[in-house]
Amino acid sequence: MSEQTPSSSPVGRRVAAVLAIAIALDTLGQLLWKLAASRLPATLSPEALLQSIERDPLPLLVIGVFVLQLVNWLVVLERVDLSYAQPLTALSYVTVCLLSAWLFGERLDLHKGLGVLLVLAGVALVSASPARRKSP
Amino acid sequence: MSARLIGVLLVLVCAGVEGLAQICLKQSTRQAGRRAGWIATGVGLFVVEALLYTAALQRLEVSVAYSLGAMSFVFVALGAAWLLGEALPMTRRIGIACIVAGCAVLASGG
Repeated sequence: MSEQTPSSSPVGRRVAAVLAIAIALDTLGQLLWKLAASRLPATLSPEALLQSIERDPLPLLVIGVFVLQLVNWLVVLERVDLSYAQPLTALSYVTVCLLSAWLFGERLDLHKGLGVLLVLAGVALVSASPARRKSP
Repeated sequence: MSARLIGVLLVLVCAGVEGLAQICLKQSTRQAGRRAGWIATGVGLFVVEALLYTAALQRLEVSVAYSLGAMSFVFVALGAAWLLGEALPMTRRIGIACIVAGCAVLASGG
């Protein structure tokens, strides 16, 4: 169960902050991963990967972001229920979509917007459903 | 096959691998004797998934690849229901339908 939170707001400010950080790190990780992937050679052999990481440490930064994300996620889970936190992180589908359009000039039209919103709603519903059924 | 189609297929394989990895991790909590083996298998699957997703990102927009990756929720929910006997309540079924519909829309985009 979640901890007691200040009665003035449904979620404490610190919880809101770590959730916002979780979405930001999700988004940052995806954008950096895209950038790293586009700089890697087309054939992903282990040698080619190691050689390009020597020249361009961006993939290591991607791994670093995901480690930070894991640590922050554990902080989130200490403070709130998974079934509360997980649906909210689906918001990163929207932030990735908007920022990739802005930074990389990716297409952003009604078609893609509809697809992303359906996915967002679906992930929120799947992760919001009861976490555990009653034991038989 | 177009680069886009290959990219879409790669993300779908990633989502399937992710589903298997999550089921391995869940199994590690259910079979204390084989805990390390299940965790090692799960982590190994995550590494394979990371390589496949990188290849997918070389062929797709990140906004499409990341959203298509939500198919892992579908594979996890279905795999957990079939293999682990977990429940599939109505909210989760509707959510699965929304994700599949959204991914179909994204995959069909020009």
